[in-house]
Amino acid sequence: MILRRPFFWIIAAIVAAFAIAPAIGDNIELRESLVLAAVYITLASNINMILGYAGYVNFGSIVFFGLGGYFSVWLMSAHAWPLAAALVAGGVAVSALALVFGLGILRLRGVYFALSTIGVNEGVMAFVANFGPWGGSTGIYLSPALFQPLGGPAKALWVIYYLLVGIMGLSLVLSYAVKRSKFGLGLLAIGQNEDAAALLGVPTPRYKAIVYSLSAFLPAIAGGLYFFKSAYIQPPDAFDLQLSTETIVVAMLGGQGTVAGPALGAFLYEELRGWLLTSPTFSHFQLVVAGVLLLAIVLFAPGGLMGLLYRLWPRLRSFLE
Amino acid sequence: MNAKGGIKVGNKHYKVRFVEYDDQSQGGRVQQLYTRLILQDKSQFLFSPYSSGLVATAAVISEQYGKIMLIGGGAEGKTYELGNKYLFQCITPADQYLSGAIAELKEHNPHAKVAFVYSDDPFSKAVVAAAREQAKQAGFTEVLDESYPPSTTDFTAIINKIISSGADTFLGGGHYSDGATLARQLHDQKAGMKWVSILVAPDSEKFKTLGAAANGITVPSQWEPQVKYKPQFGPSIAEFTSEYTLKYKDLPDYHAASGYQVGLLLQHAIEQARSIEPDKVAAALNKIDATTFFGRTKFATDPGHHGLQIAHQMVLAQWQMKGGKLVKEMVWPDAARTASVVYPLP
Repeated sequence: MILRRPFFWIIAAIVAAFAIAPAIGDNIELRESLVLAAVYITLASNINMILGYAGYVNFGSIVFFGLGGYFSVWLMSAHAWPLAAALVAGGVAVSALALVFGLGILRLRGVYFALSTIGVNEGVMAFVANFGPWGGSTGIYLSPALFQPLGGPAKALWVIYYLLVGIMGLSLVLSYAVKRSKFGLGLLAIGQNEDAAALLGVPTPRYKAIVYSLSAFLPAIAGGLYFFKSAYIQPPDAFDLQLSTETIVVAMLGGQGTVAGPALGAFLYEELRGWLLTSPTFSHFQLVVAGVLLLAIVLFAPGGLMGLLYRLWPRLRSFLE
Repeated sequence: MNAKGGIKVGNKHYKVRFVEYDDQSQGGRVQQLYTRLILQDKSQFLFSPYSSGLVATAAVISEQYGKIMLIGGGAEGKTYELGNKYLFQCITPADQYLSGAIAELKEHNPHAKVAFVYSDDPFSKAVVAAAREQAKQAGFTEVLDESYPPSTTDFTAIINKIISSGADTFLGGGHYSDGATLARQLHDQKAGMKWVSILVAPDSEKFKTLGAAANGITVPSQWEPQVKYKPQFGPSIAEFTSEYTLKYKDLPDYHAASGYQVGLLLQHAIEQARSIEPDKVAAALNKIDATTFFGRTKFATDPGHHGLQIAHQMVLAQWQMKGGKLVKEMVWPDAARTASVVYPLP
């Protein structure tokens, strides 16, 4: 049982810290900075399951986030669905779609798979940009009245924040549970050598399709929350390839294949960007500073931050996975 | 402003403190930074981010804290139908970008056959959606409706379609590179258009490097240094243009002008309200019906459209060959006209 393992309680402590820190003294500014960190952690933890475990580079993972956003926002604005129902429906719909896409494109490997994921994202974006009920390329603008059931915009933003933190926690638990399961072992085997894994009896096509679909569910819900909070969704923002690439970068930065790594990478990356942007000294060349730091980490810690930490304190391996 | 002693409110003078951040054009970042502006930097008034979507996103925060936000970049009108109380749009909404071109063209050719060819992005689509209706009302015939991906670099096939559609009028474009390429290829392929209006691209001074291909092209603009408004307060057009050129070594475009306009309107509203209380300043903004160097400004006050800009007019500029040199002339409306329009295209 993962409940008995110390790492589970580390995850619980992280989630509690996210939940409690901004609530102390009603620190809305801290909350706004942690919102983005929670989104990045969710995206990085989920991509890690396919990238870090199964070794498949998914450049277009943002398509789940964007489609989830569209489904939820549309259900709420056009069909007056309550938030919770719209989010779950968005997650389920996107997961199902991912299963269908996955069965198709996961026959490809290596660079062909990576390219096809970009194709899926671009294809979906082109479809949405021409899909009338979702506002085409103008997107959907949400009325502030939609925040009323949650107690007005001020309260709604707190509710959205706690829900996002919950989704972030679930992402970490899911990533951990998958890693410790037989299914996870199968994925790791695929990541090492797919042909050998198949020979040993790992049902590779099924496993890959399942992990692709699984890694879509929570990002889709996070997308619903994020775009509900923005009160606006538009194709280029929903299917932003740059955010997709950043997700891969933070996962590798933290240490792909580990559970804690992508979360650590995402958190540090986001907080660093946030700090540079608002720093009077660095704000005008924040991208340069961020780039140099990333380069330094990639050059000097190829196993990501977790690789570095393991090397410095080998004992960490026993409880930080 | 501060060198002159600040903004005068009754007997008090307020110095202006200006705080800015780079929002990376990302919705989540916009909300984070606007929260910071309000809570940590204690901003009393806000200027909007750039683009319609980000305005809507920032409004979730500004409205929550009852902060006035003046919009200098964000032409989409939908945001103002959502019941926001403190947003004030200082530029002409997207649905009127091509209305000047259509009005002027109607004078010369009431039976124009129009090809709409435009970039597949929200702004261009919103402009063309409204222009299509306006063209129909003007009695024009739509012979082609074609959108293209914003990254398009070759329009040969599309221009062949335009030629075979029998169009004599081109309305569309999108942003700089596609618009400039369209103008060049329309000229090179001898498309035979009598009227060409392209969004955004021809507004830039760089556009004249296209030479003969630029000649006669019209562009809608929020503002040009050549306009002839008589300001009721603030700098004259010549003062603004020369001060800007002195400081930035470049002619101001309409983005620079709208950036100045939002500050000017805010200052005026504070002075009129004789207070920095948001509700009193908002009431003063609601009452504004005035002309500055940027043109006339009036905001819709009915709850269904509150804050929408209803008085500011676009101008229509045309590149004309004068003594072997290309110059940008204002051809519409009459109040801004510096030359009569050249029709049909040379």
